[in-house]
Amino acid sequence: MPGTRDVPDEAPPFLRTWRRVYAGILIYLVLIILVFYWFTETYR
Amino acid sequence: MRPLDWIVLVTALVSIIAYGLYRSRGSNTVDRYLLAGKTMPWYAMALSIMATQASAITFISTTGQSFVDGMRFVQFYFGLPIAMVVICATVVPVFHHARVYTAYEYLEQRFDGKTRALASVIFLCQRGLSAGLTIYAPGLVLSVILGWPERATTVMMGATVITYTVLGGIKAVTWSDVQQMIVIFAGLVISLVTVIVLLPSSVSFGDAVLLAGAAGRLNAVTTHFDWNDRFNIWSGLFGGTFLFLAYFGCDQSQVQRYLTGRSIAQSRLSLLFNAVAKIPMQFFILFIGAMVFVFYLFVQPPMLFQQAELSRIRGLSEFPPLAQRYDQAFAQRQKAALALVAAHHACDSAAETRETGEYRAAQERINGVRAQASLLVERAGGEKGFTDTNYIFLSFVTRYLPVGVVGLVIAVIIAATMSASSGEINSLATVAVIDIYRRYVHREGSDHHYLLASRWATLFWGVYAVVFAGWAGRLGSLIVAVNKVGSLFYGSLLGCFVLAFAFRRVRGTATFVGMLAGESAILATAVFTDVSWLWYNVIGCVVVVATALAITYAVPGTISATPISATPGTQPRG
Repeated sequence: MPGTRDVPDEAPPFLRTWRRVYAGILIYLVLIILVFYWFTETYR
Repeated sequence: MRPLDWIVLVTALVSIIAYGLYRSRGSNTVDRYLLAGKTMPWYAMALSIMATQASAITFISTTGQSFVDGMRFVQFYFGLPIAMVVICATVVPVFHHARVYTAYEYLEQRFDGKTRALASVIFLCQRGLSAGLTIYAPGLVLSVILGWPERATTVMMGATVITYTVLGGIKAVTWSDVQQMIVIFAGLVISLVTVIVLLPSSVSFGDAVLLAGAAGRLNAVTTHFDWNDRFNIWSGLFGGTFLFLAYFGCDQSQVQRYLTGRSIAQSRLSLLFNAVAKIPMQFFILFIGAMVFVFYLFVQPPMLFQQAELSRIRGLSEFPPLAQRYDQAFAQRQKAALALVAAHHACDSAAETRETGEYRAAQERINGVRAQASLLVERAGGEKGFTDTNYIFLSFVTRYLPVGVVGLVIAVIIAATMSASSGEINSLATVAVIDIYRRYVHREGSDHHYLLASRWATLFWGVYAVVFAGWAGRLGSLIVAVNKVGSLFYGSLLGCFVLAFAFRRVRGTATFVGMLAGESAILATAVFTDVSWLWYNVIGCVVVVATALAITYAVPGTISATPISATPGTQPRG
């Protein structure tokens, strides 16, 4: 049953903390939107 | 389909299923059958989550969507990374610590039994409908290739998926998904390379991108705001975030995937992998659709891509003049496209502007003819609101891809759907058994009893999905239909979980009434307004939260005297 064992938490394998990983993901989203916007405008 | 295609197709499918079943050995307890004994590594969960979304619909419908409407559908996924970050930071650790089989089991720990039951029923309704759509898509593939009726191919696909899911449980589903994603990535790359190779030798890749852009097929970002517009950056960022929060935070078909993780970190990594990979993958698939559009600038496509409907209108008196107009418009568009490329090469901006106008005007004429042909289909007794979006990529694959590659692409489409369907059916069975049967019907059964119940429930939901699939063909673009059906229910589920995590004084009765109000608001919006379905999630969620908060603070006795922790185990019920 799922309740019979502990569920361990660990640090992320990169960037040391989860908060930094989340910030990295959001920065990535901003960059990808900017790249797509450039793509759209270039080939409009 | 030639013999080599059949060999590739059958070999790929059999090996994927066999590998999944091999890895599912020992799924002989409820925990192992439904949660894989919480032993899965992050990469298997990540690819499985991705494979669940990348069903046949992704290939069939997304490419067609790009062909007719451009790439702006990619904006729908802009909310995904935001939602993943929120879920990783809040939902994942809570669900793991709660030690639950389903997301709705947690709601009883946080609120009460009736809230859990209502959320479970909403999920069963929503995911049951979507499961039908998912099975319908590969049935569509086989019907186009084999010329068999869609009903027969749907039943055949459904029977295969049901057998596989009943036998293997979630471990089989997850490990076969891993294989399927590898095949899918290979199939995507081969499809794009092939379509580019098939372009005329005088048209380079850069020219193809120019032509797709000039026809408005590379509109990846549109910043104009319109409530009725389904896909723009605002609906993607706001509506998409709410939809994906609901999908990954409240939908058992996804929650069950990351609950199989061996640790919280493994579950988080699986979701964050999707946050990074999903948008480029969708962009890539849409780009294939745009390149198929360019291919058909130089090879005349059929007026309608669904051959059966084209045959239906061929005998009508209106058809010959329409066909003549179509031939002329195609010739004009082809001529304008080549002239545009020549002007671009010559750096003649005046000519480029002029030829772009000619090219777009010819495209409008082709769109007009296709719209009239669709109306003819309706008049000839075809389905109302007929659209052939789902047949565009299939038609291209079966006619123009080389032998062997056709079999591989068809295998990708079918295998992807098998994994998506099996995951959905598996989660439906889990909720039906854990949240309904074990909670309200048979509380003190043995582990073996619930394992058997899970297998029977899997069979039931599989059959249900096949029956609903018979109706799916009337819903237009499948990729839109799937998300639209989901949006009718997700908002109220999301509102419930927002209350659970963010408003610790709110209790069960207020949440229950809020969910009923939220669902009513969504249905009223869908029936009485033209607001795009992406906003249903926002509307439903806001109404649920507002109603529950109003009840909590306005009605004496409904507020919790002490804030209730989102992590269950120590808090009071109700």
